[in-house]
This record gives sequence, structure tokens and C-alpha cells, in this order.
Amino acid sequence: MNANTPGADSAADASWEHILELRRKRPRSGWIRASLWVACGLLLTAWTTTGIRMQDLFGASRMERLDRFLREDAMPRPLRDGSGSLWSWMAELWHSGAGTAMLATLLIAVLAIVLAAFLAWFFALLGARNLMSAHPFLPHATADAKSCPQTLPRIARAIRLLCVLLRGIPEYIWAFLLLAMLGSSAWPAVLALAIHNAGILGRLGSETVENLSPAPLRAMTMMGASRRVVAFTAIFPLSLGRYLLYFFYRFETCVREATVLGMLGVLSLGYEIVEARAHGRYDEMLFYVVLAMLLVLAADILSDLARRWLRRGM
Amino acid sequence: MAKAPAIPPAPLTPSRRTTILFGLALVAVLSFLALGLQWGQLLPHGGGVEIAGNFFAAAVQPAFTYEGSDFLPADAPAFLLKVGLALWRTLLYAVAAISLALVLGAVFGVLASEGFWQGRRGGAAVRLAVRWFMAVLRSVHELIWALLFLAAIGLSPAAAVMAIALPYGGTLAKVFAEMLDESSPAAANALHGLGARPLQVFLFGRLPRALADIAAYAFYRFECAVRSSAVLGFFGYTTLGLYIRQSFENLHYREVWAYLYALLLLVLALEAWSSQIRRRFVA
Repeated sequence: MNANTPGADSAADASWEHILELRRKRPRSGWIRASLWVACGLLLTAWTTTGIRMQDLFGASRMERLDRFLREDAMPRPLRDGSGSLWSWMAELWHSGAGTAMLATLLIAVLAIVLAAFLAWFFALLGARNLMSAHPFLPHATADAKSCPQTLPRIARAIRLLCVLLRGIPEYIWAFLLLAMLGSSAWPAVLALAIHNAGILGRLGSETVENLSPAPLRAMTMMGASRRVVAFTAIFPLSLGRYLLYFFYRFETCVREATVLGMLGVLSLGYEIVEARAHGRYDEMLFYVVLAMLLVLAADILSDLARRWLRRGM
Repeated sequence: MAKAPAIPPAPLTPSRRTTILFGLALVAVLSFLALGLQWGQLLPHGGGVEIAGNFFAAAVQPAFTYEGSDFLPADAPAFLLKVGLALWRTLLYAVAAISLALVLGAVFGVLASEGFWQGRRGGAAVRLAVRWFMAVLRSVHELIWALLFLAAIGLSPAAAVMAIALPYGGTLAKVFAEMLDESSPAAANALHGLGARPLQVFLFGRLPRALADIAAYAFYRFECAVRSSAVLGFFGYTTLGLYIRQSFENLHYREVWAYLYALLLLVLALEAWSSQIRRRFVA
């Protein structure tokens, strides 16, 4: 502590004491400590009891299989048997369905995310606790909550629970279930993505609405504006920017998910991938995987540009 | 939940707002037309009507025992035990996968961040290479990774874990790097001014500032990993997806709902856990 004390040793001791003092006074939480223990326990169990052994990936028979896969199965046909050029092989695949599949994948994602955003906007409003209270945007509303009617807060809680249910089930499982009911069209994939993402955007949207600065909203309410008027004339424009950031972030993940939903039988990249695999045409499968990768990378860049544009504000 | 945007968006002018909204609506309508969709297809038809009716009727009465025990092997475990074990394996696959992904994400996230390379040479080239490598890893979906592993080396639990860990590692690395770079540089600058070496500046100036965000995001990805590991069951791994698929194909919808509710309970529990942790980190 005191650097002026004669003798360097005692100065060092003092500052060491101070460090120990700081260490003793650091904020500690039993919850986080318990969480770490639980995490360690889970980690040990996962790596010891499940039969997940990484050396299994490098066994002799696996390596042999991998070697054959890379040398023969996955090697593009023209390179393997010298028939025709690689370029014409790719062009042929592109024209025989890969191009349309790639486009369909993108369109499924676009339609799904717009539907999800539209639906989730209502979830966002109905799930926002500051709007859905007996006295919206007033600070004392929560203080005497017991005397206020609880209908609106209950609706908000129900909407939040609904959002959890929608996003808790993975897109792939939604698509699997919907496909059996709706039959074969692009709808099961679109709806599966829309349902899951509506749950996510609904939750993020509610948080955005709750985090808005309350002053303008309160002022409007005090002057007699109804909830609906506040929602459409103030909350909507104030929260749109942030909501769009989330929108583009989810768009990116939507494209990524859309590349696999086709595996269930919807005509898109995933479908081509499993079809090629089912027929043992691993070279074609790899080609479709690369297309899927390029599509996701392109969506990544697009969404990044859009978000940058939103932040810059032109 | 997902990463909150650190940099807020600029306010939107009314005309820009209209352009964006109309643009998005237009793109959606064009997609609808190009996909050849019809509104009529939204309603179940043919055999789908019965499936939909039975399936949603089963939602309010999930199974607690096997439905239709005719074809059960004699040594089948009690149904709820089977659900519990499937859920447990789903969780453990996710734990194993996220632990590998965290290692990948930490190493490559640090290498891809600007802060780590301050005061060192060679940063630009390494960062570019790492960023592209991570982008490739994460742009291949975990189910596609799973298929690739199946085709290349066959069915193996380790391959399922790798299928999740590779893309998740790519995502974690990207986000970790962003969080390290977006955190306040004040402490790092102060340490640099005091003559600390680049590694010290990074470890004691950069890292602590970003650690809370990093922990919260890692936990969110863990929740996602649980869902991914459930879906991997559709490819033959013994997680929830396998049993959801089997029960659905046997028309045992009440069993399907039991598995779905089990998954939802796990997801809810993890969300509650993570929000508790986050509250304590922020405080």
C-alpha cells in the first residue's frame, strides 16, 4: 500500500497484502461456483460414460475407409476415370437441378424469415411487460401490482411461454412433423423455419420493447394515447432499427437451416445431398455440400452488409 | 439468448423505413410465387387431416407408458426411463460437443481478434486465414457434417460430437473475436502505457472485460447444441430425435409428445439456469 516505507521488502509485502485483501473482497457467488461444479461433473460424465471416444475417429479401419472415401468415392467422376472435364461435370450438375435447388433453398429462407418477423412483431408487443400492464410505462405500476387488474400481465406471460414452446423445438423436428401433415411442398420447410424463428424474434422483440427509453412512451400515455396508438406510432418506429438487426441475424441462420431441411424430402439443397448419398454418388454429394456452403457464406456477407448499413444510417 | 447487438442502429428516417418494409414484403411475395406455393396447401389434406387431428389431440395427453405394447421386446425399459435416458444422452452429447467447440472457439477466437495482435507482427495474415477457416467450418450445417462423417468413416458417437463441435467452434470463434474487440479498450490502453507486454495487455486488459459476454454467449450456444444433438438422432444416433422419429412413424403420437415435452423441459431448465448465471455476472 504505502510505497514510501523505507526498505523495498516491506513495500512489496504491503502491496502483496493489498492484493490479497482485494482477492478476499472480490465478489463471489455460490450459484456460479455450484454451476462450475455441475459443469465439471457433466463434462466428466459425458467423456467417460457415453462411449464417445475421439481415438475411435482415427482407428485403422476408419482411416482405411476415409482413405477410400477421399481417393475414390468423393473424387469427382471426371478426375477419377478421366472422362470429360471437371468444368463440364459441374455445369451438367448445375443445370440438372443444383441451380434450382440452391435458389429454392434461398427463397424458403427469405419467405420464412419475413413471415416469422411479421408474426413475431405481435408476439413482441403482446409479450412486453411495460406495455402489457394496467398502467403502461408508469414506474409505480409494479409497486402496487396487487390492486391492479392482472389480465394483461397474464397475457404477456402466456405469450412468452408460447415463444418458448415455439423456439424450444428445433426447426428440423417441426419440419418432420409438418411434412407428414401437409404433404410434399415447400410449406413444411417454410413453416418450420417461420415457427421456430417467430419464437426467437418474439422474445428478442419483447426485450427490445422493454428496453426502450420510457420517457416518450410515458408522455404519450399521459396525454391519453391508447396502447394501440403508442404501439404503432412510437414503439414501432423506435424499435424497428434494433428489430431489423435481429432480423438479419436470424436470416443468416435461416439460410443455414434451410440447407438441411430439404433432407426430409423438400426439393432444395438438402434433398439433393441425401439423394446423391442414397445412390452412392459421393462426388455429387460433395458438390452440393460446397454449394450449400457458398450459399451460407453469401447470406452471411449479405446480412453483415445489411446490418452495417443499418448502423451507419444513410 | 442470442448476442445483443453491441452497436445500436442509427435511427431510421420514415422514407427509409418505408423502403425497407416494402422491399422485404416484395421479396417475400416474389419468393412465395417463385416457390409455386398455394395457400390451400397450408391446410392438411388427404391422409394428412387424420394425422394432424390425431397428432394435436395427443398433445394434451402425452404418454407415460408405451402405446401399443404388442411389438415390444421383453427386456424393453419402462417408457419414462427410456425417455429419461434419451434426454440424458442428448444432454451428454451436447456437453461433449460444446466442450470441444469451446477449445476451438477460444484458440481461434483469440487468434482472430485484433486485440491479441496489437504490438505484434503478422497479425493481418493470420487473422484473415483464421477468419476464413472458421467461416468455412460454420457455413456447413452440423447435419451436413454428420452426413459427411457418416459417408467418410461410418456411424460413431465421436463423429456425432465432431459434427456439432466443428460448426459451433467456428461460430464461437467468430463471436468471441468480436466480443474481445468490442470490449472497452481503456484497461488495455492503460496497461500498454505502463509498459506491459502484448500478452499481459491481452490477458489482463482485454480478456477480463469480455469474459462475462463470452460466458453468456457460450451458454446460449450450449442450449443450441442440446437441440442439435436431439436432431442428430434422426441420423441413427441414440438421442431424442431417433425416438421421436420411430414413435411418429409407428403412429404413437402420445409418445412423440412425451419426447417433445421432455426436450422442452430441458431447454426451459437450461434457459432458467443461464439467466440466473447472467444475472450474477452482470451484478
